Amino acid sequence: MKYERALIAVAIVVFILVLSYAVTLGAMGSTLPPRDLRLLAKLYLWLAINPWTRNLTVMSPEAVTSIVWDFRGLDTFFETAVLYLAIIGTVAIYRGVYASSKSREVPISEDEVGMSPIAKSVTKITLPIVIAVAVAIALHGHLTPGGGFQGGSTAAVILLLVLVVFSLQYSIRMGITKGSTLALRSAGLLGIAVTSILVLILGLLVGCQSFIFQNQPKAYAPVGVPAFLDGMLVSGTLILFNIFECLAVAAGLTLTFILVLTHEEEIRSVMKGDRHE
Amino acid sequence: MEVLVLTLMAIVALLSTVATYLAITERDLLTAVIYSALQSTAYAIIFYLLMAPDIVLVYIPVAVGLYPAVFIVLIKKSERYEGG
Repeated sequence: MKYERALIAVAIVVFILVLSYAVTLGAMGSTLPPRDLRLLAKLYLWLAINPWTRNLTVMSPEAVTSIVWDFRGLDTFFETAVLYLAIIGTVAIYRGVYASSKSREVPISEDEVGMSPIAKSVTKITLPIVIAVAVAIALHGHLTPGGGFQGGSTAAVILLLVLVVFSLQYSIRMGITKGSTLALRSAGLLGIAVTSILVLILGLLVGCQSFIFQNQPKAYAPVGVPAFLDGMLVSGTLILFNIFECLAVAAGLTLTFILVLTHEEEIRSVMKGDRHE
Repeated sequence: MEVLVLTLMAIVALLSTVATYLAITERDLLTAVIYSALQSTAYAIIFYLLMAPDIVLVYIPVAVGLYPAVFIVLIKKSERYEGG
């Protein structure tokens, strides 16, 4: 049985090696992307930060973030919507299960629940470090690789660790509840929605043409969010999008984990109809 | 230098293939999750070598942190060994 598995693994490896060698030699036609696609890439790189073409540039040295939140902003908006539909689905399945209802009544100390003191101490030390790294990734999203989603998922990992190591009961007593994460997630989503129409509102107030997902002033739409704030490069709406996305992703993923980690008995009692919120 | 990077990428890609195969055929689901995380680590290295640090930054927390965590919670709530 072991021998057979090793043989199959070697066969798959050889198959992939042969296939990739054939593709490298040109079995799928040309190996380079078409010329018109390369022109698009050149334009993106040329316009990401370019103070001499102020009505086309994003004013962000990070080409990926300028594509994600400016050139192709609507794509990212719908991508975010898909993720939040999944989280809304989780919340809808666990409806009526309010994770703090039972644990609120019994006062518990930190030592009674959760893992060993070693795990707790390590988590306590790493918590501020990881949160700082996550916030740095999100706030530097328009300058260095990273962004809101990256920062948010990094923060969600350490919050998940807190939920597991300190136990769900204790975390809920510390304020990481379904309600608080739901509120933070909604605040983040609302921030993204408002930022996407921020320049549109500005244009309506001033009385000139403007677009949704507009960042810098364009040729026929001379309103925009300032790229510099007190001499510091903030790239207009990009920093706002990154902050709100970080908040929404961290809170949304933590919310899912709170619901998934809830005890089965509690969920079963809600589904039987013994109690509901 | 470029040959070194490409060779490293090829080795890591083949390692990820083997890890994927082991993850699919493994009967102990907890071990399968570890194989899957190994495959994700290999992919993270490939993304880094392909000069996509943005993807690496989102891939490491999601594929090495959150995704195995979801599966471990679900395995704890259901069965550890695949039947049959």
